[in-house]
Amino acid sequence: MLLRPTWDDHKVVGMYAGRIVLGVGLLMAIPLVTSLVFGEWDTAADFCIGLLASLFTGLCLQVVFWTRKRLARRHGLVTVAIAWLLGTLVGTIPLALSGHYGSYADAVFDVMSGLTTTGLYLIQDLDHIANGLSMWRFVLTFAGGQGIVVIALTFLFRGSGAVYQLYSGEGKEEQLLPNVIHTARAIWVISLGWLIAGASLLSVTGLTLGMRPDRAVLHGIWMFMGAFSTGGFAPQSYNVIWFHSSVYEALCVVIFVAGSLNFALHWAVWHGWRGELVRNIETRSFASTLAVLSVAAAWALADTGIYGDWVVLFRKGFYQLVSAHTTTGFATIYSRAFVTQWGAGAMLITMAAMAIGASSCSTAGGIKGLRVGLITKSFFGEVRRVISPESSRVTVRYHHIRDQILREPVVRSVLTIAVIFITLYAVVTAAGVFAGYPVDQAAFEGISAASNSGLSCGLLSPSSPDLLKVVYVAAMWLGRLEFIAVLALAGWVWAAVKGR
Amino acid sequence: MRPMLTATLLAALIAAVAPSAAIGVGSAVSSEELVENPADWDGVTVTFEGEAIGEAMVRGENAWIHINDDAYTAASVEAGARLSGFNAGMPVLLPAEAAARIEQFGSHKTQGDYVKVVGVFRAASPEQGGEMLIEGDSLEVLRRGAAVTDPVMAWKLWLGAGLAGGCVIVGLLLQRLRHSI
Repeated sequence: MLLRPTWDDHKVVGMYAGRIVLGVGLLMAIPLVTSLVFGEWDTAADFCIGLLASLFTGLCLQVVFWTRKRLARRHGLVTVAIAWLLGTLVGTIPLALSGHYGSYADAVFDVMSGLTTTGLYLIQDLDHIANGLSMWRFVLTFAGGQGIVVIALTFLFRGSGAVYQLYSGEGKEEQLLPNVIHTARAIWVISLGWLIAGASLLSVTGLTLGMRPDRAVLHGIWMFMGAFSTGGFAPQSYNVIWFHSSVYEALCVVIFVAGSLNFALHWAVWHGWRGELVRNIETRSFASTLAVLSVAAAWALADTGIYGDWVVLFRKGFYQLVSAHTTTGFATIYSRAFVTQWGAGAMLITMAAMAIGASSCSTAGGIKGLRVGLITKSFFGEVRRVISPESSRVTVRYHHIRDQILREPVVRSVLTIAVIFITLYAVVTAAGVFAGYPVDQAAFEGISAASNSGLSCGLLSPSSPDLLKVVYVAAMWLGRLEFIAVLALAGWVWAAVKGR
Repeated sequence: MRPMLTATLLAALIAAVAPSAAIGVGSAVSSEELVENPADWDGVTVTFEGEAIGEAMVRGENAWIHINDDAYTAASVEAGARLSGFNAGMPVLLPAEAAARIEQFGSHKTQGDYVKVVGVFRAASPEQGGEMLIEGDSLEVLRRGAAVTDPVMAWKLWLGAGLAGGCVIVGLLLQRLRHSI
């Protein structure tokens, strides 16, 4: 029997969502301070309005839905889905006020793209935007990478227990520490450690490349945030082309590969268990698919003859491929070059890399290396079972932080999510084709959105059909939350209407 | 007459064989044209015009600059331009002394100098790691840039004040609820 949620249930969801919205609002203090430092007064006013509107919304939600009831298991996923939607809507306010968007919906697209660490964008005249506005784009993507719920858990929640549902609702299941709030704080410790090291290195490199000191530092911080969160936003419309430096590109690769690794793996390495890097099924899966796809991409690119020698081919081909595989979206070629220079073969390989994605419990999107690894293990396990004598018992093992036995429910779960991802990829591709775009470009852009990658072949623009933008926003949201939280919200609404 | 005829035929032949080179130098080519048809323009000397953006990154004797030839070359959104899509442009590698002629680079607070560059377009330069770029030989500043002012609109201040008041009221209500039994 379908049970209708009670008013008390709605109150719990509303109140906790309000608290997370409050957290998103407080983040606007960072771009506000940036605008004030650089004397961008109109932009500062936009952030004042955005911050106050977020606080007002968050506080109103807590007053209207005030309750002393604690968050229960059934509330967690719905709260996350609603918080992401509301967080997106309030986070959009400063962008929409900036005058750089054709509509509020376009600004919503960019905020969802930032929070989901996708990197596709609709902002117009990016090369003239204020530093404060640029900072907000990167704070969104950095916060989204760690998870806005993780932020809220870090600063605004106490206790543990059912808040695990909030945490897992953002597509993260691994607990680095027994207490989920301590886990959230550990994620921030890891991320901030990387931020200090990565941004410093990029800033110094920027200076040596001839950038102005203030721009070198800002670009260093922003490019780190874009890379580590596997977000793909860049401060200039030229993306990584802007820097014209193999050193800068290599640093970005190190950072976005690090960002694409499981936080549990970071935690293990942080505590001296370096062997985990080699033994973990996710890193093995990622290394295997990257190697296979790299060879395939090199072959496809060599066939086009656009890059004269192998060094150049490696630099261009490998960069784009790792960026796709980690679902980062940084590019050292023009978007349209995928179509006009790379051709269908190399585009197809890039799509495969985006579709697979990187690690679970990281900032990356896509099906995830863990699932691909487990599906492969399960497949070979089945083969072994078929060729073994009937009386023998085949046990499939894998290593992920600890040695584990691959059991039927786990296989069923990873296959279900993989099938849903593939279905989503098909749906977004179909949406692009129905909007009138060639199938290869529709597939490239659609998979990029749904896997939260952000590489573009130039299909998406402010003049794209609104319906296609809505489909991409939904795909980014679904892909980032790995469906479960969004489906839980749909179930909640259904139960509220049809339940008893 | 015969040498004259030969010369005329030769000139016609050259014009027929290298039309793109003639088009490129005579009138400015767009970045859209270069990006959409890189193979056609590879190695061709082109004239490229637009707004200098960001900064010049000097590397030894050369410098990297970025020239945007989009709808915002005359005025940015901050300076009141109508929204007209994404930025578009081309990186240019040219002698540092030529880049030094640029005084203003486009940013939030500045409209960059509008410049004309003549150089060779490379679809994927092997010397520059496969980058698409223009190897500039000369640069001419056609129009100087200027500072852009973006004053605070009064209605934003009023809206902010209203929201701040609202936050105080709702915050007090929440405090009261928290302390109620």
